[in-house]
Amino acid sequence: MGVMILPLEEEEEEEDKKRRNTFSINDNVDLLVEILGRLDGRSLGVAACVCKLWSSVCRKDSVWEALCNRHVAGGGGGPGTRSVVAALGGYRRLYRLCVGPVLDRLAGGPGLAGWAATREEAAHLSLSLSLSLSLFSIDCYERLGGPRQRPASLLFLCKPVNVS
Amino acid sequence: MKREHQESGGGVGGYPAAEMMLSGKGKMTGMEEEHDGGVDELLAALGYKVRSSDMADVALKLEQLEMAMGSSAAQDDAFLSHLASDTVHYNPSDLSTWLESMLSELNAPPPPLPSAPIPKHQSNQLDLPPPPPVPAAAAPASILDPAECSTVTTVDLPTPRRQSEYDLKPIPSAATAAPGRVVYGPEATVELNARDRKRMRTSSSSSSSSRGGIGVGVVRGMGSSMPSATEASSMAAGPAAGALPVVVVDSQEAGIRLVHTLMACAEAVQQENLKAADALVKQISVLATSQGGAMRKVAGYFAEALARRIYRVHPQQDCALDSAFSDILQMHFYESCPYLKFAHFTANQAILEAFAGCRRVHVIDFGMRQGMQWPALMQALALRPGGPPSFRLTGIGPPQPDNTDALQQVGWKLAQFADTIHVDFQYRGYVANSLADLEPCMLGADAAGGCSSGGDEEPEAVAVNSVLELHRLLARPGALEKVLGTVRAVRPRIVTAVEQEANHNAGSFLERFTEALHYYSTMFDSLEGGCTATGAAAAAEVATGGGQQDRVMSEVYLGRQICNVVACEGAERTERHETLGQWRGRMTRAGFEPVHLGSNAFKQASMLLALFAGGDGYRVEEKDGCLTLGWHTRPLIATSAWRVAAAGDALSAAR
Repeated sequence: MGVMILPLEEEEEEEDKKRRNTFSINDNVDLLVEILGRLDGRSLGVAACVCKLWSSVCRKDSVWEALCNRHVAGGGGGPGTRSVVAALGGYRRLYRLCVGPVLDRLAGGPGLAGWAATREEAAHLSLSLSLSLSLFSIDCYERLGGPRQRPASLLFLCKPVNVS
Repeated sequence: MKREHQESGGGVGGYPAAEMMLSGKGKMTGMEEEHDGGVDELLAALGYKVRSSDMADVALKLEQLEMAMGSSAAQDDAFLSHLASDTVHYNPSDLSTWLESMLSELNAPPPPLPSAPIPKHQSNQLDLPPPPPVPAAAAPASILDPAECSTVTTVDLPTPRRQSEYDLKPIPSAATAAPGRVVYGPEATVELNARDRKRMRTSSSSSSSSRGGIGVGVVRGMGSSMPSATEASSMAAGPAAGALPVVVVDSQEAGIRLVHTLMACAEAVQQENLKAADALVKQISVLATSQGGAMRKVAGYFAEALARRIYRVHPQQDCALDSAFSDILQMHFYESCPYLKFAHFTANQAILEAFAGCRRVHVIDFGMRQGMQWPALMQALALRPGGPPSFRLTGIGPPQPDNTDALQQVGWKLAQFADTIHVDFQYRGYVANSLADLEPCMLGADAAGGCSSGGDEEPEAVAVNSVLELHRLLARPGALEKVLGTVRAVRPRIVTAVEQEANHNAGSFLERFTEALHYYSTMFDSLEGGCTATGAAAAAEVATGGGQQDRVMSEVYLGRQICNVVACEGAERTERHETLGQWRGRMTRAGFEPVHLGSNAFKQASMLLALFAGGDGYRVEEKDGCLTLGWHTRPLIATSAWRVAAAGDALSAAR
């Protein structure tokens, strides 16, 4: 685009705006997915509150799958795992019920941000994924009993909530 | 001498209930060394200190007292009621002195006493705050007569008839001041003894929350519970001279007393001395109210079990109703503490490893219940690199009361789950009163291999799983051998067995009782320790009080086991727990060899425990290839894996 000479700063501002407006992160959903897919669980939750688009991206199970698998050595299982987890309720549910609390408990604090640092940690966490899957499947099984069921097998993972 | 100290106290520690037994032993020896030896032991167990040499004299005086009371009743009701009134009581634990004073009082009624109600809870001010359930430190050299902590309260008369060791007043800043202890030293003025005595008495119950609980039936007129701080502090002033002997009373004394009473009662039951046992059981119930938390509950259940044994009331009326109820209880036990989860996860890991590479697998579960173990295994099989095998499950369960087929319902639920994760699933349920009723052909086995499936291309790999089921078979001789023979005939790749790690089956009743007391005290401690955190968490969740309910029901579940171990005999006593070593012997004799549980199982178990809020108390240990889970130093449950022994097996030649 050519340089247009407009009077005073407002023209420059307008120009800047135009420049900025030609590129918005919201225009490029794949890019958004890539970026948001690198967040940790809590941040994803926060991101889901930004706007409708971000919310829909954050609800994609693939994002949560990437999050869960990030903590697994070897990048997690293949399509087999995906179908099983999808059948049991999806990766987002898996993270919320199991992987998230497990990571919190094991790390002794909010979930590890970013990448698993060492091989040992990765192995440690990959085992925790299988443990989480086991717990998740038990919970799913309990819920099969019907809406009357009070699935309690995962209560031991719950964090105390301050209801004062 | 120390007849009731048979407990094998070695090697236990780190938790309050059992610790009391050890330190109590130390204290008991201390006491007996302090007073002359020759104190009658049976009466000492009941709380009365009488020298054996005095026994005849005491008996005579008792007769005299009885006659005197009987005769005086006719003349003077007021006097008798005065005798019985609460402001004047002698310490009856020292029987001979008490009798002397009672007789002399009868002969010469004393002047009316000032009946100023002495505040019962005055001792609050001097006692240190109720100690946390921390095990008592090393026992002091000498203690007060344990009978001082009996439920009878005593006010001293203003006469110098007391023996010197009872003239005590608390010394607030003693060097030996430790949490939970109040130190007493001799005191000149007799007037204060009354309040001292009360202080000593109530201090022994300071660790409990229900202070009013102690001796409710006996204490009257002590109504005012207003502590008078000024009075207490004025008494604390003016300590006695230095060289006088100092006595330390441990406020956990009542707990030790409780344990000793339990042991004494068990011994009485073993000796068929039912009258003494009856008296002791009542005392246990009262003493139990002085404790808090785990110890009180354990004592309560053991007292109930002893009472059932004494009166021959058998709890198990309806076996069928029992099974449904016990399933519910076990579910709560499953949710509230990690023992069953540990069992399931480690057994599943062993089965998974044994099934590596097999396309058809068959699992036989000896105790199907709600089938909580199998979703996790199915999920793990579904995620196997080569895809899931076809999975067949045979579940065995007891008959149900109504016509509901619980086994079938569980099967449906599992089938639904299997369908969700696309695992080919087949289910068969068998109802059997006892595992010994099973035959190999029922389980789909045949000498030729693969009978019911009609000669498929690939034989199925079989696993047999038993969680807390095998010990029931020991109630009938020969049953276990038959079942193990059936298991061998099925030719499993792996047999996983989970059992309680305790010896509740050998030796005399007293030994069994002692073992059970240790074991269940530890269990209850772990429930207490593990559940406080989860209880708070769960309570904040939607299912309000869910954690609490789980814990309460788990305690009922354990209480039923306690009842069975203590009160039942013969074929009814199904809770015949044995240790890992004993099971190892049995399995080896039946032709099995151990399979080591891998490090994966160990890591998964450790990680599982790290997730439990009370996680630091639980310990996973590996013992010769088997995994045990325990609370602090005491293992409570053990998982082991077996396969049919290859060498020296005559049948193996036919394969």
